[in-house]
Amino acid sequence: MADIEFLDTSSEPRGDTLYHPVTVGYETKVATQGVSVRYGEKVALKDVTMDIPSRAVTACIGPSGCGKSTFLRAINRMNDTIDNAQVSGSVLIDGEEVNDRSVDPVVLRARVGMVFQKPNPFPKTIYENVAYGPKIHGLAGDRDQLDGIVETSLKKAGLWDEVADRLTHPGTSLSGGQQQRLVIARAIAVNPEVILMDEPCSALDPIATARIEELIDELRENYTLIIVTHSMAQAARVSQMTAFFHLGALVEYGPTEEIFTNPRDQRTQDYITGRFG
Amino acid sequence: MQITVIVALALLVLTAIGFLVGRRRATRVASGQPSALHSLPSYYGYYIAIWTGLPALTLLFAYGSFGSSLVNILTMGELEREAAPLIRAYEADLSESPDYQTLNEALGQIETEIEATRNALEQARQARGPVDGYQRDLGELTLDRNDVSDAIENLREQIAFAVAARAPDSVAGHRARAGFEYWRARPDRRDLFIADARAIAFQEGFPSRVTPTLNAAGAAMVPWESLFRWSFAGAALALAVGGLTWARGQVSAGFRARNRVEGVISIVLFATSVIAILTTLGIVLSLVFESIRFFAAIEWRIHEFLFGLQWSPQIGIRADQVGQTGAFGAVPLFAGTALITVIAMCVAVPVGLFSAIYLSEYASPKFRSVAKPVLEILAGVPTVVYGFFALLTVGPFLREFAIFLGYEDAVTQSALSAGLVMGVMIIPFVSSLSDDVINAVPQSLRDGAYAMGATKSEAVRQVVLPAALPGIVGAILLAVSRAIGETMIVVMAAGPGANLTANPLESVTTITVQIVMLITGDQEFSSAKTLSAFALALVLFTLTLLLNIVALRVVERFRERYE
Ligand SMILES: Nc1ncnc2c1ncn2[C@@H]1O[C@H](COP(=O)(O)OP(=O)(O)OP(=O)(O)O)[C@@H](O)[C@H]1O
Ligand SMILES: [Mg+2]
Repeated sequence: MADIEFLDTSSEPRGDTLYHPVTVGYETKVATQGVSVRYGEKVALKDVTMDIPSRAVTACIGPSGCGKSTFLRAINRMNDTIDNAQVSGSVLIDGEEVNDRSVDPVVLRARVGMVFQKPNPFPKTIYENVAYGPKIHGLAGDRDQLDGIVETSLKKAGLWDEVADRLTHPGTSLSGGQQQRLVIARAIAVNPEVILMDEPCSALDPIATARIEELIDELRENYTLIIVTHSMAQAARVSQMTAFFHLGALVEYGPTEEIFTNPRDQRTQDYITGRFG
Repeated sequence: MQITVIVALALLVLTAIGFLVGRRRATRVASGQPSALHSLPSYYGYYIAIWTGLPALTLLFAYGSFGSSLVNILTMGELEREAAPLIRAYEADLSESPDYQTLNEALGQIETEIEATRNALEQARQARGPVDGYQRDLGELTLDRNDVSDAIENLREQIAFAVAARAPDSVAGHRARAGFEYWRARPDRRDLFIADARAIAFQEGFPSRVTPTLNAAGAAMVPWESLFRWSFAGAALALAVGGLTWARGQVSAGFRARNRVEGVISIVLFATSVIAILTTLGIVLSLVFESIRFFAAIEWRIHEFLFGLQWSPQIGIRADQVGQTGAFGAVPLFAGTALITVIAMCVAVPVGLFSAIYLSEYASPKFRSVAKPVLEILAGVPTVVYGFFALLTVGPFLREFAIFLGYEDAVTQSALSAGLVMGVMIIPFVSSLSDDVINAVPQSLRDGAYAMGATKSEAVRQVVLPAALPGIVGAILLAVSRAIGETMIVVMAAGPGANLTANPLESVTTITVQIVMLITGDQEFSSAKTLSAFALALVLFTLTLLLNIVALRVVERFRERYE
């Protein structure tokens, strides 16, 4: 488990949060305030308020259908792409309102990258997959710069050594674990501030999973990561903060060690000990 | 009512009875304990019903398919035997006729000369010397030969007539004359003779003529026909009753009726699929055989057919063309087909593809649920209606427009109007198939693109379409094969002229149009002109088959990739 420095326990927790991120030594990157999401009549997320620390890994856990993915999608406004989804409440990134009319979701998504459960490389070459974001956002002035971005992104994703000599092969020709690292490289190529990962390892074998976990730990230095996972062990291994969702509500949120060793809520206790799920 | 119909009905009733008997018997055998039986009681019913109905109905079906040919063969064999004296007399008279011998010798001489002239012509051609003289000679010799052949045919006719007149004016005489006439007839005439005789004897349609010989032949068929009819009917009924009894005897508690019934069902299903396959095969084979006849008729100049630039099947254009077979260079047809297909695709691909993209990516579910069926209605419009539309609305409009722009030679029946309207007809194919493949692109790819900050059109252009591309290409290929095979619109709107042109405002002709024109009107299926339709059909079939195979392969690949 990653080390957590407890600096200041006096600070007041916000909303359902038991520990303000400041208490674990980070500053707040993403702050949500009363976020609710409805799909038509169905309420998928109820009034979620939480502060997510910067340069740390925050894990979202909870039984299937409890709204974890919905919560992630609320942060980069991916719910906009779903016809009947209605979002209310506020999401602040660095104090800036995400749901504001003036915010262009295209620009927002350049700042908030996302990695999905199933690796979804585009039907393009490995190079083009990574270069995709920089291209559509006009981040590279010329070819050399683009080459540089692709190389550093692949290196950061720990994939460079494996694909350096076959950048022109289709992205789909890689193995599942490599594909997942490819889409992580694709996400970090636009240099986002926040990376959302929705069950990034659920389609991978243990070795590939270990690779991704290692990568997540490295990425923590530069990025704010929010990951959804069904594996308690994974949450315990890679995250510094853990949020437990149940039936669309945030039940408990705090430092991972705290949540796993000393949960305050009975439901959290039951879930992490596998008594329901 | 026809006896066969009555028997068929009786068989159905027997089958139903067989089912009831089987079920009753099974319950009886189990003595009120269905669990003692191997299968459910109804399976025993089915088992007996199958044994009652299937063999008997098969026999009846076989009689229906082959019974009349059997009757024909037996009757005509009988009549030909009775005609033996006439045939002998005819052959004797023919060999004794001095005229016949002279004519035959003359024919032999002309054939030799033709052969020699043709060789000389070939040599002159290779030596690049003058060939006009030879060609003229060859033309004259061919005409001579035709004259002599006609004379021989006339002489035969005369002698046959004289011989037939010697037969007595009795029933036996008519029968002998019928056999003799049949013996002398060419194969296609023989078929006609039998068809007429049957028409007279059994009121099967209208005879093309009624003669004493046809009457006699028809009358000779009647006893055979009724013999077969009654014996087959009897045999079928006996088979049904026998089957019922035998199968009933089989029923016991341990009898595996279900497995037997399942076995029969799988055999029946297999047989039907075999029928479907054999039918296709039969069609292909008939195309191939008729095409071979055609190629034989044009003396195996297949390259001339495939690459010749002149299509005029009616007139002989070169004197040395034997039998004046006309010119069968199909390139103008291929070119016309290609031109119209290209025009149609220029309409169908963009419109179809863009509407598919709009419907699957942009439209609200509500709009989609209305627009998609409406678009598919286009596919249900009969092509003849499109033909009208092309001929009466689009054609004149285009002509006026072209004249307005200063192109004075514009015609109503043009490649452009046919192509445009055909394109409209094909839109629903392209859009519906593309819509399917676009929808098959996993949502995760779209999500991936959106999550990277792509706009809707970027996601569609850069991610969804490339992913769907193989499937879209497949859809387009299928549409092309559809366009190539389309007939009605081009028959009505493209015109008959076999022009070799790339000008879309001229009238062109297509493979399908020519097939229609070659086959309609002319009943004789032995001239090179008519046979060429089969060769064209073979080309068409091969082309569309290849396109379909490639297209389905491509689509299949695409499916595999995303499953
Ligand atoms: N597009 C949608 N339309 C309607 N309802 C949806 C949609 N997406 C999710 N839901 C509903 O919202 C609820 C929360 O879904 P969500 O995908 O956020 O759950 P989750 O916690 O990610 O579950 P899992 O662990 O299975 O991924 C579920 O009940 C789901 O049925
Ligand atoms: Mg989920």
